[in-house]
Amino acid sequence: MLIALVLAAQIGAGEAPVNAATAAFEQAPAKPKKAKEEKDAAAKPAKKPKKKKVAKENETAPDEPVDPAADAPAKGFRFSWKQHPSVRYADVFRLDVEGKMQEDGHSSYGPVKGLDTWEFHRNRFGIKGYVTKHIEYEIEHEFTEHELTEKDVEAGITPKSRWKDVNVNLTYVKNAQVQIGKFKVPFGLDQLTGVTHNDFVYRSLGANYLAPGRDVGVQVHGSFWKHGLEYATGVFQHDGDNARSKKIEGGDTTFAGRINGNPLRHLSSSSIGGIDVGTAFAISALSDDSFRPNGLRGRTVMTQDDFFQSVYVKGHRRRWEADMDWTSGRASARAEYTWVSDDRLAQGIGGEDLPDVRGRSWYVSGTWVLTGEDKKRPLKAAEPFAQGGIGAIEVAIRYERMWFDSTPLGQDVPRRNPRAETIFESGDHALTLGVNWTLNRFVKLQVNGIREHVDDPQRNPVPNGAAFWSRVIRLQFVL
Amino acid sequence: MLRKWLRVFAIVTLAASPQAVRAQTAPPPAAAADPAAPFFDDSVVHDLFLTINQRDWSSLKEHFLANTYYPANLTWNGQIVRSVGIRSRGTGSRSGVKPGLRVDIDYYTTDQKFLGLKSFILRNNTQDPSGMRERLSMELFRRMGLVAEREAHARLYINNVYTGLFTIVESIDKTFLQKNFNENDGHLYEYAFDNANPVPFNFGYPGSDPALYVPVPFKPETLESDPQGEVIERLFWTANIAGDAVWRTSIEEFLDMKKFIRHLAIENFLAEEDGLTGDYGPNNFYFYRFLNTNKFMFLPWDKSNTFWESPSYSILRNIEDGTESKRNRLVLRALKDTDLRELWLNTILECADSIMQPAVAATATTPAVATPWLQYEVARIANQITAATYADPSREVFTNADFDASVAFLTTWAQTRSDIVRAQVAADRAARGVK
Repeated sequence: MLIALVLAAQIGAGEAPVNAATAAFEQAPAKPKKAKEEKDAAAKPAKKPKKKKVAKENETAPDEPVDPAADAPAKGFRFSWKQHPSVRYADVFRLDVEGKMQEDGHSSYGPVKGLDTWEFHRNRFGIKGYVTKHIEYEIEHEFTEHELTEKDVEAGITPKSRWKDVNVNLTYVKNAQVQIGKFKVPFGLDQLTGVTHNDFVYRSLGANYLAPGRDVGVQVHGSFWKHGLEYATGVFQHDGDNARSKKIEGGDTTFAGRINGNPLRHLSSSSIGGIDVGTAFAISALSDDSFRPNGLRGRTVMTQDDFFQSVYVKGHRRRWEADMDWTSGRASARAEYTWVSDDRLAQGIGGEDLPDVRGRSWYVSGTWVLTGEDKKRPLKAAEPFAQGGIGAIEVAIRYERMWFDSTPLGQDVPRRNPRAETIFESGDHALTLGVNWTLNRFVKLQVNGIREHVDDPQRNPVPNGAAFWSRVIRLQFVL
Repeated sequence: MLRKWLRVFAIVTLAASPQAVRAQTAPPPAAAADPAAPFFDDSVVHDLFLTINQRDWSSLKEHFLANTYYPANLTWNGQIVRSVGIRSRGTGSRSGVKPGLRVDIDYYTTDQKFLGLKSFILRNNTQDPSGMRERLSMELFRRMGLVAEREAHARLYINNVYTGLFTIVESIDKTFLQKNFNENDGHLYEYAFDNANPVPFNFGYPGSDPALYVPVPFKPETLESDPQGEVIERLFWTANIAGDAVWRTSIEEFLDMKKFIRHLAIENFLAEEDGLTGDYGPNNFYFYRFLNTNKFMFLPWDKSNTFWESPSYSILRNIEDGTESKRNRLVLRALKDTDLRELWLNTILECADSIMQPAVAATATTPAVATPWLQYEVARIANQITAATYADPSREVFTNADFDASVAFLTTWAQTRSDIVRAQVAADRAARGVK
């Protein structure tokens, strides 16, 4: 990885491409703010403006979404490496090779089962591009996850797919594009933010454990009013990777929809013009076919200790979330609230119906770019490391909570067993402090300190119900 | 009425017998009356009710090889304990028809107890057509003054439907340690026999790495984060490597050899085929290291393979014969010591005498029961459980005829074992030139 870092620094120091372009499939693309900035500048008085650090816009990072329309037409086959290694034929075929690698180092309250000090966390490679003007495709494979052994299968462990995004997107109708295959269920701002764009090493608890994640399905999506309003709605085979684990089968057929927009975009002279708000819902069928509980679980951020174990559920799972995303100059803030409720039909010890199990989460987060660049995802360094600068450095803070209980209250006292009439409430509070150092368009270093406190002392991984700190450093390389 | 009188006789006799006196004095006395005593009252067949989601019960039976816990409510003698955890348990006895169960009272609620117990076992006895071998064996261990878990039979009802006859077995855990040793902060290990290993651990010296001892085959049950396998390593180094001149004094740092030999002798007398000198290598015991010492103690566990084959089962099996790699190295070395070998033989003879003593001594108001103790116990337990055994709907292999034959076998065994063993002891002494 060190070699990769040095190599990346050298690559990053090279001449920047002028017409970088690629297909953009990120679920939450960053929106161009150049026009807005120019308008802001024009509106200001004649006072000499302080020189602002601006990233070279044509140095697109590999994980940066760009407008496909900007792709310069050309004749015949050609190979280029501007954003990714890419093979193209005129404007009817394109194949980009992508890679995302993340090496993590962690420590926490002590030796944590299953958590090595150093971990090759992600090692994803894939291709994406288009065939003809209206068919886009994407295939991404994770190489760090291993296949199940026979013993695992005998133990009833559910296999986890190593295939991530595998889909085609049909763009015949720009405002009603059809995406088919495996991709993220449109739910949750943090969950839909690309893995290399996160402000923190780990997504929020709600994004990891309440939002669905990826699944196989079909969705219709598009935007209106120059991205002032975006929507996506679809039907999926299950309710996403996040609802499944080695021992949890997860929900069945899922219908989901999300809408988000920038309602105050016309107030662009004000900083509130950068507010994007969204909301989403999802409803899934839930079976109790598995002999193990099939409910959602709650785990701590890094150490992944269960502070709420899966309970028996049957019927339907309902999800709802609302979110806010604000960006202005060097600063950004995000907030999100997620609510999930599962039926528990005939799940009592005596076969009786039980009150719904409910999971809720929220977070608020903020970032500030110390080196003066405008906040973007990914953050772009105005003066990359080894090009006479130090890269871009930002600080980040997030406070969050996720908790589970049942509603309405049952007659019995709260208990911790997976068929409890009244579920003993259990939750986790987490404060994350972070520094993100973008060395250049390929390499990012993230350092996070996470302080957690689990409400229920019996489920707290440290004695006496105390709070605990976890520390993680992540080196990220994107190709 | 007869049962009531027998119970009185048994209590009086046990209280008056020298063995009982020793049993009462061997372990430190418990500070207070044991609330679980009625639960292990072996003068009755208990009725135990578990309420569990029907799908969970089906799943537990379907996935009987997994250790998955399921929530249930437990009812005994009018007392209800909600939210206990139950799971399938056992090694060779695991069954999808009549699963052996571990009942963890505190699995979902830390500190929840039932009659002071944190857990207990419901043994399915699927390998024992009589269903009483283990209970008889533990009775003999206690009668001989050693600590052993208490047991009683129980009819188990799942969702109010009679599911089968089980043996309630006291768990060896911190509650057990506190009751018997007046301490429970030492290191307790369950011996986890490694079925996958074709060459089992034979109490030899595999090496100096503590990881060779914990967590397999010595699985820590207490102080899991600090299992101190290095002390076990020292024990087996001493048992195997220490020189003959210092062996007795060195091994005493780790084992009370008199108690160890007593435990061994009882197993050999009982014709235990899967114990310290079992056919498959050492097995079926817990291991406790007392607080702030290096002294370990063996605690007997799972004696369902006792009374094996015939009353003439050799006390020297897997000691003087058997597969070389499976013979217990600690036992072999201990029995090379003349004093320990004599102690072992004498203890076997003590067992032979003990089972032949009258079952119930006479008192001022009651007549003696002259029937030898073990034969009497076989008959008493058979009388208790015959109806419940016949009605057991979940027996997989054994029939009523098998049960009757097994009871007859145990009766014969009880009548003839002592004389056979005495002859075996005499033969061993003669072979070694000991008078």
